[in-house]
Amino acid sequence: MKYVLYQLKKHPLAIVGIIIIIFWLIAAFFGPSMVPFTHTQMDSEHQMVGPGTNGHVLGTDSLGRDLLARIVYGSRSILTVALMTSIVSTIIGVLLGFSAGYFGGRIDAAFLRSMDILMAIPPLVLSMVVLGILGDSSILSLTLIVSIAFVPATARVSRGVLLTEKSQEYVSAARIRGENHLYIMFVEILPNTTGPIIVEATARFAYSIMMVASLGFLGVGMQPPTPDWGMMVIENKPIIAQAPGAVLFPALAIASLVIAISIFSDFVSKVLIHER
Amino acid sequence: MLQRYGRWISGVVVGDLGESVYMQGVAINSILWRRVGHSMVLALTAFLMFVPLSIFFGVLAGVKEKKPTDSIVSFFGLATMALPEFVSGVILISVFAVQLNWFPIVSVIPIGESLFQNLNIVVLPALSITLVMFGYISRMQRSSMIQVMNSDYVRAAILKGMPRKYVIFRHALKNALLPTITIIGMNMGWLFGGLVVVETLFGFPGMGSLLMTAIKTRDVPLIEACVLLITVIYSLSTMVTDIMYSYLNPRIRFQGGQR
Repeated sequence: MKYVLYQLKKHPLAIVGIIIIIFWLIAAFFGPSMVPFTHTQMDSEHQMVGPGTNGHVLGTDSLGRDLLARIVYGSRSILTVALMTSIVSTIIGVLLGFSAGYFGGRIDAAFLRSMDILMAIPPLVLSMVVLGILGDSSILSLTLIVSIAFVPATARVSRGVLLTEKSQEYVSAARIRGENHLYIMFVEILPNTTGPIIVEATARFAYSIMMVASLGFLGVGMQPPTPDWGMMVIENKPIIAQAPGAVLFPALAIASLVIAISIFSDFVSKVLIHER
Repeated sequence: MLQRYGRWISGVVVGDLGESVYMQGVAINSILWRRVGHSMVLALTAFLMFVPLSIFFGVLAGVKEKKPTDSIVSFFGLATMALPEFVSGVILISVFAVQLNWFPIVSVIPIGESLFQNLNIVVLPALSITLVMFGYISRMQRSSMIQVMNSDYVRAAILKGMPRKYVIFRHALKNALLPTITIIGMNMGWLFGGLVVVETLFGFPGMGSLLMTAIKTRDVPLIEACVLLITVIYSLSTMVTDIMYSYLNPRIRFQGGQR
């Protein structure tokens, strides 16, 4: 703990990142009860108005919906999906990567080839095609599909860190003790590899926010009436000349969150990996 | 089902991608290739912009490690890397198209004209792709440059009294480029994802927006054709990267590489 504080002092940028993340977390938890409008309420008298008119702190879009309310509600869905995606893809990645790296041989070869096949399609293209064809973009399906698109990356990282640990003496000791494979993998090896895996998971968090926002932008993400930042950008693009805020504010929301998480993940990697 | 798949595959092999379902009776070949050409122009423009730019600034940052130049380039790289293409695209639109009115907001080719008569529509989309790629590549270039500049042979060259420019460009850059090339090849996948997003944002008539329309209209044969093409181009670019890598690094060429 002391060490973390010391590192924080050395990297003031990380503090900024953490503050922004906390800000968005608070917005997601308590925001909806603090803003005076809901995300679907339409103010027909004030359409496309600038910030500060009639209590609309950030202005309204072409239907007169309050932008602040939509951004705050949107932070809920995007944070939920991105957090679940980074957790699910890391868990699947660790399971696959560990078993492939641990058993080696044919299993490993089959694993590598199948990951190659999955990697041959760019992740964004893969998830947008699957989501588009399914035509069902609930939080659950969005999380699952984006996680699967990310599995090759997380699985390769886990396999890599497992391979560096596998030749250590404590692993052979456990094997000679007669422990079973599952015990060796997850009780002996896993605790020693948490550093790189957590770093990968936080980096995935940033990627999944970008991905979910891009999918929303392409119209295959969260479906209306759930507000989605990416969707807000494309929806309001036709009125960019009249109400630039309607496009810029959600764009800035995405940007601030992704930058904050990238800074945070950089910091985590400095603390966890260079610790030794 | 297997039979149908067989028919599709044998069609693909001889170059027949089938017909579009949504636009009845239109052969996919007739719409796809024109769009692919447009996308290629866009991707190539972006490529020609971000590769030299990011390598130059990466080298600059790497050589001036921990000086103000370095922190500015690194922070700018981090910021642009974290922005999805459509966010930077929107910012570019609001600055250059809405405020300054230099470029059109949407990139539509008027009927009867070709892309080359309307080259100004390529600028903003290419720029927004450039911004995203710039972050990755300049960061990579910077770190590999720092590593090489601290190596013994560069120190030896500097101590020999060679001009600094000569050392940087002749000795250091050659080795520092290798990881960058790999990263460029690996990021081709992101480039294609980015193409889809950027083309949708600007309404650019390329392969990405065609794929988007296909998804919206549930035009399965067209989706298949687009995804197949993207996958093929992506795999080819990965292969070209590997070949270039072994060409540039004689150690891999002679030893057959290490796994």
